[in-house]
Amino acid sequence: MKRMISALSVILTIATFAAAQTKDGAATMEPSPAQQRIAAARHAITEKPKEYNGYNLLAAALISRAQETSDATFYLQAEDAVKKSLALAPRNFETEKIETSILLGQHDYPAALHSAVALNKRVPDDVTVYGLLTDANVELGNYKDAEDSAQWMLNLRPGNLPALIHAAHLRDLFGDTEGAYELLDLAYQSTPPTETGERADILTRLGHLRLASGNLEAAEKLFQQALTNFSGYPMALEDLAQVREMQKRYSEAVVLLQQRCQNPHPAGTLYALAEALQLAGRDREAARVFADFETQALAETATRNNSNRELVFYYADHAHQPALALKIAKLEYAWRHDIYTLDAYAWALHANGQDAEARKQIEIALAVGIRDAGIFTHAAGIALKLGDHAAAQSYLKEAASLQATESHHLPGGADSVSERQFSGRP
Amino acid sequence: MKQLKPIMALAISLFMLAPCSLLASSHREAPITALDRSADVTDWYAFVSYDKPNYVTMILNVDPLLEPANGPNYFPFDPSVLYEMHVDNNQDGLDDITFQFRFNTTIRDPRLFTGFVGGIAGIPPITALSGTGSEGLSLIQNYTLTMIKNGKTTVLNGGQTLYAVPSNVGPRTMPNYQALFNQGIYNLGNGVSVWAGTADDPFFIDLGAFFDSVNFRNGVGPVLSPAIDADNTHNYAPDAVGGYNVNSIVLEVPVTMLTVDGKVHPAGDKQAVIGTYGSTARHQMTVRRSPNPAHSSGPFQQVNREGNSLINEAIIGTGFKDRFSMDYPINDAQFASFVLEPVAAGVLSTLGVPVPPNPRTDLLLLVQYEAPICPGCGPNDAGPVADLLRLNTGIPATPVANQKRLGFIAGDVAGYPNGRRPVDDVFDISLRAIEGILVDSTKYGLALGDGVNTKTEGFNNSFPYVLPANSGRNSAHTGPGQAGCTGQPGGICPVQ
Repeated sequence: MKRMISALSVILTIATFAAAQTKDGAATMEPSPAQQRIAAARHAITEKPKEYNGYNLLAAALISRAQETSDATFYLQAEDAVKKSLALAPRNFETEKIETSILLGQHDYPAALHSAVALNKRVPDDVTVYGLLTDANVELGNYKDAEDSAQWMLNLRPGNLPALIHAAHLRDLFGDTEGAYELLDLAYQSTPPTETGERADILTRLGHLRLASGNLEAAEKLFQQALTNFSGYPMALEDLAQVREMQKRYSEAVVLLQQRCQNPHPAGTLYALAEALQLAGRDREAARVFADFETQALAETATRNNSNRELVFYYADHAHQPALALKIAKLEYAWRHDIYTLDAYAWALHANGQDAEARKQIEIALAVGIRDAGIFTHAAGIALKLGDHAAAQSYLKEAASLQATESHHLPGGADSVSERQFSGRP
Repeated sequence: MKQLKPIMALAISLFMLAPCSLLASSHREAPITALDRSADVTDWYAFVSYDKPNYVTMILNVDPLLEPANGPNYFPFDPSVLYEMHVDNNQDGLDDITFQFRFNTTIRDPRLFTGFVGGIAGIPPITALSGTGSEGLSLIQNYTLTMIKNGKTTVLNGGQTLYAVPSNVGPRTMPNYQALFNQGIYNLGNGVSVWAGTADDPFFIDLGAFFDSVNFRNGVGPVLSPAIDADNTHNYAPDAVGGYNVNSIVLEVPVTMLTVDGKVHPAGDKQAVIGTYGSTARHQMTVRRSPNPAHSSGPFQQVNREGNSLINEAIIGTGFKDRFSMDYPINDAQFASFVLEPVAAGVLSTLGVPVPPNPRTDLLLLVQYEAPICPGCGPNDAGPVADLLRLNTGIPATPVANQKRLGFIAGDVAGYPNGRRPVDDVFDISLRAIEGILVDSTKYGLALGDGVNTKTEGFNNSFPYVLPANSGRNSAHTGPGQAGCTGQPGGICPVQ
């Protein structure tokens, strides 16, 4: 495995060098694979407007484009295409799979799960449906069900690409970062070079794993490579900005996030930008972006597709409005219990002095196996508040082991741990 | 650490797997086994041994439609596949006894261009599976047999190295193939005998006619004339499997090794009845890696199975076949609707064949413990819906001369679906079961069939009950317009 990884690194290094003229996300502006597929599907519809399949192709391509750009309006267009397809061929199985994918893209996980369960009953051999089940269950925090679905993906078509990616994600959540890397590496090798969006996605995931274990150098290379594969790939820009922050190159992080915000983006991206500005010492700009973030995030609080978790941390750590943090956290907790929602909920409880319950919630999250410096840091803060210094120190050691550039050691013992270390961000 | 954006590769989920071609028959019946032929269970047989009343023989056939001439590697068993025979002896649908076969391959002379050579270039003809006379066996396979019973694993090899019999390459290489074949029979002590290797495929069917949307040959099917129907020894249509080989594992064990209390029971005792199936499994790639050392391969995951012949092929919907293949009989309730409302019956109906209305509870006989196969089973002994080939070990074998191809429904009670023998015409029997013969043999008793009533190559009526593999050099297949239909004028098989 090490040899495979190192071979990949060599390839990536060469490719990165070859693409050196494209600096952090600078672009070659050819149509993306999704854009090409959209054009082809529209042509097919023009040629044969009464055939449902053209609309399916269009909807699938629009979903790809939504993923390439994080622009949710593509999901609305995809919805429209699906409606037309279903009008021509009601209850078509393939169309309903696409419809379920749209629900996932719009973060309506309960509806997506309901739909995926029904599809699975109709055709239990369909591997893609197990992928939909896995996605919905992961987002809702049903990890056992997610694991079962992903295992069926692996069983039904050993080594298939989506199964590798889904299983890798679960391994990451279960704390097996290296195992996740192993599967994603296989997935990357199985992805055709023409699928630049998919390759960028996998490279970003690989980089994310390296970032999560504190290997900034490897992470940076992978994010750069993702951006070379697919110029301006949103997640790579955000993650590379995170690398820059950990390298204390805050101004560069700001530039990357500003670049990211030039295109459609969720409110959470503004939150990341505001934090980067703050780290860069540009407090006035940070305050303005925080305000923009708050306005945008509040507008979507009651919807499924929201930035509630970021809003929780904003209220808890920046706006010093713990009651609002808890209110928002409860909204999210009411319908999903995934690791990150539990973390946000626990942090909001902590901010409101409800540390016993906070500890219970964060321990549920950690019991899944996740090894996330941010969650460990929160767990340490909660334990410290409860007077459990040993646990706090243990959590901080875990966090420190995952973050190469930030030290969480306790120079003066647990009592001297500063509040800064327990901010909402890792 | 910020969470990676949640939606997992939506686009990947969509562009991923193109639908696989759906091939059906017990040979390559599910998409996954169409892609994994060495793990494809083609047929499963279990019957009371013809010459030993207190013994049961089980045959697991895998790897379909092996063309005998297809060198240079021919058809070794896959060492990464776990081949298993399963027995339930207490009507709960779960394994009580499992026999496991694992194969190991050795290439003795990597310089050779073929796995088998002899009678040329100073290499003697292959006359033995090991030692002198085996020099030409460059590719050689041995195997182990273990039994898991009551949680205890026992190696049954009896201290012997068990060799698999290779395919029949031809007369120069293997001048006395029958002798090689016989060397593959091992008596392991305690009444256990085993044979494994490439053999003539004992299955018979007009595959082409059936899968051409039930387009049987003129004057033959789907309703057979009384004369053709009564003929147990001639074919009137081409046997599509004729001349092909298959990989066989044959095991004979005493009944006392299989029953719940280790005793032989009369047919009226429920303890006389066992449920059996054969399966293949591969190590699965697992979501969770095993620790110490971390690796991605987990326990064996079943790839394919067969209890009753043709259940997966003719009953289970194509969108469910893989799930069926990979799931376990104990979970078969999820497929019960396919048995109770068989689509195949609807197809027969469109051909003008009268069929009973749904739900078809008569077919539960195939998937539960009931009379007449289990006359000793009461209402509480039916057990879960589970595709197991049930065998009443208390019913003695029918003498070979009296065996009928239609088995149980023709009064030959030692035949399918009371177990299954190579001679049983499971295609015709299954057609008639779906037609409704178990409901009312008069009302739903049309003599449905494909006109392939027996095996072109004949049968082996003693252990290992399979015939030696067809010769790579000197054998041919039967087909439309070719010889092989002895019931037809001149023995030529009909085309139309």
